[in-house]
Amino acid sequence: MTTSYSVFRDESKLDINYIPSKLPHREKEQRLLSEFFNFIIQCPTQMTQRVILTGDVGTGKTALAQTFGADLTSQTKRKNLKFHYVHINCREFRGSLQPILHKIVTAFRPTYPARGYAADEILATLMQVLDEEETTLIVTLDEFDSLIEKEGSDAVYKLTRIHETRQGQPQRLSFIFIMRDLNAIEHLDDSAKSTLQRNIIRLQRYGKPQLIDILNDRAALAFTLGAVEDDVIDLTAELAHSQTGNARFGIELLWRAGKYADASELGHISAECIRNAISAIIPTLHRSELASLDFHEKLFLLAIARYFKENQEAYVQIGEAEKAYQVICEEYEEPPKSHTQIWLYVQYLSKLGVLKAEVVSSETRGRANRISLPSIPAAELEQEMNLSLQGKR
Amino acid sequence: MALEEILCSRPRIKILKLIYTLGQLNVSDIARRLNTNYTSISGHIQILESEGILELRTYGRVRMYRFSSSAKAQAVAGLIEAWEKQTA
Repeated sequence: MTTSYSVFRDESKLDINYIPSKLPHREKEQRLLSEFFNFIIQCPTQMTQRVILTGDVGTGKTALAQTFGADLTSQTKRKNLKFHYVHINCREFRGSLQPILHKIVTAFRPTYPARGYAADEILATLMQVLDEEETTLIVTLDEFDSLIEKEGSDAVYKLTRIHETRQGQPQRLSFIFIMRDLNAIEHLDDSAKSTLQRNIIRLQRYGKPQLIDILNDRAALAFTLGAVEDDVIDLTAELAHSQTGNARFGIELLWRAGKYADASELGHISAECIRNAISAIIPTLHRSELASLDFHEKLFLLAIARYFKENQEAYVQIGEAEKAYQVICEEYEEPPKSHTQIWLYVQYLSKLGVLKAEVVSSETRGRANRISLPSIPAAELEQEMNLSLQGKR
Repeated sequence: MALEEILCSRPRIKILKLIYTLGQLNVSDIARRLNTNYTSISGHIQILESEGILELRTYGRVRMYRFSSSAKAQAVAGLIEAWEKQTA
């Protein structure tokens, strides 16, 4: 439910099924895909094509195919060409060819019977239907690995060689195969393999600046004006980057953080909301790791936790962190450690994944070290440290 | 067959309305959706097909019925459309 203080303007823009109208930093791949399928505009039934999109999780494979499909659909519509785009996730059908083909046929014939017909028959029906409709079709088989795993070479061969049994007839069916890992192809026999390995588009992992652009784009569509500050986007991009450049992870994190912000009636997304969101998504910190820290490392972590709890900021300069640590030392009646020692703590805690330390350059103030608390809510960390330091005062 | 004979049957009207709504269906599917037996539906379909109102479309072993492009079929479709619009 969207309430009056909600940070959301349209949360569907952060949904996994949302197809963005533009894909930042995938322009080259989009152009390449358009080149491969240019014949659909130029000479629609003269040829077919098979393209593989591959890349890690969250590199935009699905979004690229869907955006391309939507673009081509509107282009062909403008030119009065008959064209359809169907996107199927093979994993939803446990990689079985028969229900996958049935799903494609029902895009044209919704009442086609679901059971009792073999994959070969349904494929033949699909070709007949395409002839009846006089249309060309691009089918994207997402998570194609699962189909290869389940059905093996025969299925791939059937799909990719269907036009060889239709010599002299219009060519209507093309494919985009989406795979995380190209190694799955290695399990196929040579003839099936050779039909696949021609056009491969590899999507590289997003870098942090690219993730910032992507998250900014989505945030502008999904959230109210001013609900998300730059440093929150920065922190989210940082986290998504650490998850192998996974843009989907970052987008989901923003959505979840928005929910935390709404639940607390904040009216904006704070860095703490992001930390709450990530701690809900991945198990981040083990108590045993925290318990094994030495006394001053714990004091320093407590200082960081309090700082972030009191200041709705995503980053703290190391100098500020040191001041906060000195206050905690006073509280525990301990002489504070030197700056060099603190820097060693930061490095160690960073290695453990509790903190994240980085050097940033600014025009006015030169280079500075800043610390963020990427994956654990400050309040949770404070509580943990207080418990761990009990009786040490 | 006379018009009143074609249209006096409640199952036939139901079959026509169903096919009009869903485009094309096989006999088993029609029987299931109307909660009637296959033989009965098959008999009605044969009448509607022989009158040129429905036509058979085969996809391999799959046999589906839809409205034909005959004047009679279009008139029946028009009747259902008008009726359904009015009652909607």
